[in-house]
Amino acid sequence: MLHPHRAVAVSGAAESGWDAVRIAAADDVAVALRDLSGTVRVLCGAGIEEVALAQPVPFGHKFALADLAAGDAVRKYGAPIGRLTRAVRRGEHVHVHNLKSRRAGAGG
Amino acid sequence: MVDPSFLGFPRRFGRAGVRNHVLVLGINGLVAPAASQAAARIAGSRLVATPYGRGQFGADKALHFLQLAGIGANPNNGAVLIVGADRKSADAVAEAIAQRSPAPVEAVTLDDTQEDAHELVARAVRAGTRLAREASHGRRVRLPLSELYLGLECGHSDASSGLAANPLAGAVADRLVEAGATCVVGETLEWLGAEDALSARGADGTIGRRIAAAVMARERAVTAAGVDLLGDNPGEENIRGGLSTIEEKSLGAIAKAGRHPVTDMLGFAQPPSGRGLHLMDGPSYSPESMTGFVASGTQMILFTTGPGNSYCSLIAPTFKLSANPAACVRLDGQLDFDAGAVLQGRLSLDAAAGHLLAELIAVASGTLTWGEAAGQGAECFTRIGPSL
Repeated sequence: MLHPHRAVAVSGAAESGWDAVRIAAADDVAVALRDLSGTVRVLCGAGIEEVALAQPVPFGHKFALADLAAGDAVRKYGAPIGRLTRAVRRGEHVHVHNLKSRRAGAGG
Repeated sequence: MVDPSFLGFPRRFGRAGVRNHVLVLGINGLVAPAASQAAARIAGSRLVATPYGRGQFGADKALHFLQLAGIGANPNNGAVLIVGADRKSADAVAEAIAQRSPAPVEAVTLDDTQEDAHELVARAVRAGTRLAREASHGRRVRLPLSELYLGLECGHSDASSGLAANPLAGAVADRLVEAGATCVVGETLEWLGAEDALSARGADGTIGRRIAAAVMARERAVTAAGVDLLGDNPGEENIRGGLSTIEEKSLGAIAKAGRHPVTDMLGFAQPPSGRGLHLMDGPSYSPESMTGFVASGTQMILFTTGPGNSYCSLIAPTFKLSANPAACVRLDGQLDFDAGAVLQGRLSLDAAAGHLLAELIAVASGTLTWGEAAGQGAECFTRIGPSL
């Protein structure tokens, strides 16, 4: 059973020393925990990675953790959430402008 | 340690009530205004009046009847007054309620008054007043959590829902299931993209196959209609909150289901025959989904949201939970529980689940939710076919 998000929610120390989280190890994106810009700290498992954002990323939105090609599946919660319609660099905002569902006839 | 009991209204059979409503149930749109006038004059009454009731046929008619009977049989009702047009259909609903609930049921109809709506209101008030007094004899007693049947719903989700609010709701569902209670998660379309994980949790192989088939049927309906889910599900408020696709929304939404095996997948508005975690194959619009839960017998609904969503059931107290820190500040007076600390890593999921369960038990024992205190609540009937 898939429950990476459970692990994230309990991983917090007393002080939140990060701006965004990668929910599961296999994920291609991290989620912003507040409105973000510039270089941010991403909680990846037990460690922290620094990522330079290409543009501001609002609270709850996603950004890429690696350079990805058009057509690539994007993973969050360790599972595919859609396919990229164009190439995306590490630190770029990933949302409806470059990510499309693969279900219900939306993305083939 | 959370007290594993609550104060509820015991019923002679079936589950206990967490409320003791006098339900005024309008079963035909022709008498909805009369039912509304009568309800306004009956102390402590709750009005559910369908706008439909004629010209329905087949599965749509059967589902409408199942919703009426199920809303009437909900254990939160201490008494039920049916207001109908014809005597035959009123008696049929009364009979169906009596099979599932020990609450006193009376019915008044236009047939009895030779179409005189003034007289119908007068008779409804007289019968309803009698029922209100009778229901008021009910007293709360201490009962085990195994009496509870909780619906889990989400509405206006954002990324904080999948990160914290839904996992927290799932952790509470797990604790209730471990205490012998029953839980239900609906909104089939929001299993789309997460159906492999859900199907693998079926208590036996047939349940997993039925879950997968239910998702496939909804996906086919979307494809056949030629609609793009984007903008509808995920909706505009989901997209503003950072959710890009139905798969992403679903993977966050199913966290509400905790991690226990799925005992059974229920049809819409169908009561469960066993305990534990259930799924309900139903629409993803919250008002319809929640009325399916109420007709199935849930006494309470735990409702997660991101930016806020004020909609509550009229029959089942609806407890609102958000982990969006800005929403929790902005909507003091709508949100019953602030899970922002879980999102920010300042509070463990386990500790938060203990606090949340204690608050839910307080609501089960009579504490008002914000929605109840505001006097807001409604039920919404689902149609699955056209009228003749």
